[in-house]
Amino acid sequence: MPHMPTLALGLFLAAIAPPAMAQEGSPLSPRIVNEAAVPAVMAKAVDDFIIPGYRNLSDKTALLTKASAALCETPSAASQDNARTAFSELVRAWSTVEIIRLGPALEQNRFERFLFYPDRKSTGLKQVQAILAKGDETAIDVASLKGKSVAAQGLGALEYVLYGNGSEALASKEGDFRCRYGVAISQNLDTIANEFLAEWQKPDGIQSAWKKPGPGNPQFRDSKEAATELLGIFVHGVEMVKDQRLKPFYAGTVDGRQDKGHPKLAIYWRSENTMPSIAANFRGLQTLFKVADMESLLPEDSRSVAGSADFVFKSVIAISQNIDGPIGEAIADDKSRAKLDFLTLNTADLLDRLNKDFGGAIGLGAGFSFADGD
Amino acid sequence: MRATTGLIDRRNFIKMAGAAWVATLGARGAFALERADAVFASAFMAPDGSYGVATLTEAGEIVERTALPARAHGMAYSAASKRMVAFARRPGTYAMILATDGRAEPVVIAAADGRHFYGHGCFSADGRLLYATENDFAANRGMIGIYDGTRRFARIGEFPTYGIGPHDMTLSANGRMLVIANGGIETHPDFGRTKLNLDHMEPSLTLVDTETGALIQKHTLPGELSRLSTRHVDIGPKGEIWFACQYEGARDDLPPLVGHFSHGEDLAFVSLPESTTEALANYVGAIAVNRHEGLIGLTSPKGGIAVTLDARTGAVLKEQRVADAAGVAAADHGFAVSSYDGRFKDHPNRVAWDQHIVRLARS
Repeated sequence: MPHMPTLALGLFLAAIAPPAMAQEGSPLSPRIVNEAAVPAVMAKAVDDFIIPGYRNLSDKTALLTKASAALCETPSAASQDNARTAFSELVRAWSTVEIIRLGPALEQNRFERFLFYPDRKSTGLKQVQAILAKGDETAIDVASLKGKSVAAQGLGALEYVLYGNGSEALASKEGDFRCRYGVAISQNLDTIANEFLAEWQKPDGIQSAWKKPGPGNPQFRDSKEAATELLGIFVHGVEMVKDQRLKPFYAGTVDGRQDKGHPKLAIYWRSENTMPSIAANFRGLQTLFKVADMESLLPEDSRSVAGSADFVFKSVIAISQNIDGPIGEAIADDKSRAKLDFLTLNTADLLDRLNKDFGGAIGLGAGFSFADGD
Repeated sequence: MRATTGLIDRRNFIKMAGAAWVATLGARGAFALERADAVFASAFMAPDGSYGVATLTEAGEIVERTALPARAHGMAYSAASKRMVAFARRPGTYAMILATDGRAEPVVIAAADGRHFYGHGCFSADGRLLYATENDFAANRGMIGIYDGTRRFARIGEFPTYGIGPHDMTLSANGRMLVIANGGIETHPDFGRTKLNLDHMEPSLTLVDTETGALIQKHTLPGELSRLSTRHVDIGPKGEIWFACQYEGARDDLPPLVGHFSHGEDLAFVSLPESTTEALANYVGAIAVNRHEGLIGLTSPKGGIAVTLDARTGAVLKEQRVADAAGVAAADHGFAVSSYDGRFKDHPNRVAWDQHIVRLARS
């Protein structure tokens, strides 16, 4: 829908039922998760989304490592372009699976080492700049890099190496140290990606726990616990896009006043991967929703909840793919800003549909995030 | 640099809107807190997704409700100053203090710059000061914010909690120590409620001098229990401290979930029967003490159960299935238990009760 005006998109949205919580008369009586469907859903989530997603991630880190090494060996504008392309492809692969922020991602700081964001105090930037300025040799050895700050060894650091101030030096031997730092980061990312894959592929590891909820299971004692964990991926994933990825650079129109925007707070702004990454986040969530057959968890009479969620997924993916170019220019442009407003609105709507409607339908009476304890 | 988190926006909203918000409540709070039959208070979510706090009768019927600007969590009450406080849920930016005798206007306080509330706190013995558990998130350090009730709860200082991820806090029986459950889990408002250090948690229980802020006693947990988050506390019939835990480790482990200690003594865990630990789903959401009957009440929303223990022996006296069990507080007899789906004792209400109940009168 490249030229679709915002108003028409708004009407599309209005055509589907409002989230259930808006209905004052609805009782809070709990619905029940379709227990029989849970093990198959969990198995499909693992076999058809998580493992292929990490396999793709590991392929992309391997390609990046090759491209980075080639850049150091024969520095040129062309080989720098190749490394940058490999980086952007890795960002898309990561953005698809970063929604799986549990299990192996929470161990050994793997998630933060892969991507440290948000970086409110520009900790990462300062550390990376210091490494480059000093020519810190311990940063170009993958073993010692691993022991450095999480902010200096992941995607954010590599983006600065490839796109930040001074990155033009990469096209010649002048950028040798910077280039070797980039190789070390690429290798580090490759190692972490392979660890993700290995952990999920272990037959008696986390995948076995996911596939067989029940007594004696180290993760889920019953089907409802498993279904709740899976729904958490969607709720936390959409929340992440809404609060950590969109809001920092553009808060939308608040009280009739437009946020002027903060493009340099946007994730991956240097490489212009902000919107491709957000689109990939949503595509990952939508793919998981479909391939795991989340709909089958719902009681028969609540299945429309899945259809509505899928409709909004399509809408947010289409619109985020449709905002191109540097994010600063998008915020400054009326048409693109209207698209961002639309995206913000629909992201909040999607969150409600998953949190309250889907959560309510599988027995979390007051919604998923209400019931996550404290 | 502008903060990337919504925390600052929300804090500013509270600062700007707080006064206007309070004005809508009216001088006497439009909140009949002085009514003698209001013996409990709890935060809730209404069916339209808005939030508030309600007072309830001994039977669990709502006496009065008032709106809150955002979701609230823990509450505290001072019989000495007749004040009640509701804290925003973590990472929270506000707390609202109400006068239960209607003699003072409600006050909304905002979290200080670089701090957020964890959702719990307590009053000093004389009711003048309010203490709140807070996160110094840049330093990942638990803090206690101190607010002066004689100055519209202006923040007059802070103490460390001597741990990370503090959650619940209460006052010792002699009124001279703050009892803090440092859950040990690192969070940062930039990452919402994401638990950032599950593979190296540092749970602890600390006693802090109310006068000086000095650490009086600290209990860490043994290595094999490093994933046992110590989260809620209450004071037992003999002044001993009871604590309840939430386990972040393997689901098929059977960790101890409840224990007690006194000033100068080691921690003692209660050995619950395996079936009770399993029923609690390795997760105690709230703990309360009924002092005159010598009982300990526990709830688990994950397990859907309320459990009553003998405070003297730790023996299980009662297990009651309560789907979505939320809060627990001492009742005339036994405990009042609420649920996410609106039950309070046996009374249904069209709200989702939050995780905690405060009793407004000493039983």
